[in-house]
Amino acid sequence: MTKLRHLVWMLAAATALVLSTSQGFAQSRPDADEPGLVADDSYQLDPEWQKQVVYYRSNEAPGTIIISTAERHLYLLQGNGRALRYGIGVGREGFQWQGLVNITRKAEWPDWVPPPEMIARQPYLPRFMAGGPGNPLGARAMYLGTTVYRIHGTNRPDTIGTAVSSGCFRLVNNDVADLYNRVPVGTKVIIRQKPEL
Amino acid sequence: MRTFRGGLTIGLAVAALVAAVAVTYERYDTRTLKRTIRRGEVYCGVNKGLPGFSIPDDKGNWTGFDVDFCRAVASAIFDDPTKAKFIPLDASERFKELQNRKVDILSRNSTWSMSREVNYDLYFPAVAYYDGQGFMIPRSRNIDSALDLNGSKVCVQGSTTTLLNLADYFRANNMKYTEMKFDKLEDVVKAYDSGQCDTLTSDASQLYALRLNLSKPNDHVILADIISKEPLAPVVRQRDDDWMMIVKWTLYAMINAEELGITSKNIDEALKSKKPEVMRLVGTEGSYGEDLGLTKDWAVRIIRHVGNYGEVYDRNVGADSKLKIPRGMNQLWNAGGVQYAPPIR
Repeated sequence: MTKLRHLVWMLAAATALVLSTSQGFAQSRPDADEPGLVADDSYQLDPEWQKQVVYYRSNEAPGTIIISTAERHLYLLQGNGRALRYGIGVGREGFQWQGLVNITRKAEWPDWVPPPEMIARQPYLPRFMAGGPGNPLGARAMYLGTTVYRIHGTNRPDTIGTAVSSGCFRLVNNDVADLYNRVPVGTKVIIRQKPEL
Repeated sequence: MRTFRGGLTIGLAVAALVAAVAVTYERYDTRTLKRTIRRGEVYCGVNKGLPGFSIPDDKGNWTGFDVDFCRAVASAIFDDPTKAKFIPLDASERFKELQNRKVDILSRNSTWSMSREVNYDLYFPAVAYYDGQGFMIPRSRNIDSALDLNGSKVCVQGSTTTLLNLADYFRANNMKYTEMKFDKLEDVVKAYDSGQCDTLTSDASQLYALRLNLSKPNDHVILADIISKEPLAPVVRQRDDDWMMIVKWTLYAMINAEELGITSKNIDEALKSKKPEVMRLVGTEGSYGEDLGLTKDWAVRIIRHVGNYGEVYDRNVGADSKLKIPRGMNQLWNAGGVQYAPPIR
């Protein structure tokens, strides 16, 4: 049964891929969500988006997460002037936000229930999708405050470093699993946007 | 008799004054801006060839971080980034040639230190790039701190301050190491690439350039730790304050522009902004440019032709360049780094 479902999704994804490439990717799929596409784990990120320890000076406490939307980086503060930096995909133009929230819930291989706003914009999305390798939320999700936004994995590693989401922050599955193991519920998350003119 | 003596005193006094003025004039150049404007070009002393910082292509077109800074000064003055002439200088001659007025600015990866400023009668207006000594290791070692390097074999160039910093760092942290010393940098790299040592140490900006030439660049990482201070800054002659201010505020305009989100792409939009800090920078409010001896739109010219600090960084040494040096300390102060410009107001 599961096999059959995978097969159906794979077919759907393949069709979607063919359609989208022939029509121009950005227009037909502004969200770059491809439910059903199984993440390519061998995908090699650009050095800029690979997980790495970097110099990062901050007055925030170690363990805090700082997300820089403009840079497409997520920092997990380590203290001692350093941070673990992950490459992320962020909200597309008009879907970027800033603020201070906490991680309120964590989930492994989360189910996906696209919120009504998202369905309204992208009616072709499924109403529900069970967790698994073809799920756009990927391997882990960390829920941010009471918002509809999450830090989550992805089945589209090639979208790391871009602004395509509806406001969520996506990491490749290996990275999101790594982050998941490092941060507890209650972790402070600061989201910074680029300055407005 | 009395009048003769009086006349003599006055005469001597006048002569002494004239001599003093003449000596002062000779020693201290206060006309760099005037001369530059008359000449129609800024003369910039640059490195003969350092990838990312200043390097000419086979047609003689210069690119790099230091080169772009000079173009920014030229843009502020002439509204034309091509009004900068690049004069390659050796490390040994660079400060002398600046004192001899062969160049108006030295923009040549020079470390700002007290003795250089005090003893050479020079001035380093502001830090353009925070460099410092770091370590490159094979990715497979899977460590992320220089404090985990205890017991390492370290490849290093002989008779450099790098060697001394290395010794200081390991002693201060109570760690042991074996020194693998070579006179030539290329031999240091060769030894490291062939696996003769566990790590290679040099200035971080150089490590990124050296990594490009390894047999498998992607198998090596540069640790985030910086163990020495190498603040690279443009250099001008002392006591020409008007010129020094232009060089200093050119850099600060670029840093402030990045902080305010003004780029070469949205500069026209910025001219319509109603945000006070943006208005002061782009000259729609106040007379900051005129007070500097330039025009109201001095900063607009810099940003339009060359870009803000982050754009110049990314293009030459950062994410959009071959070197791919993370911003690190050179990130803005409000984004994890130490680049901080005083406000324009």
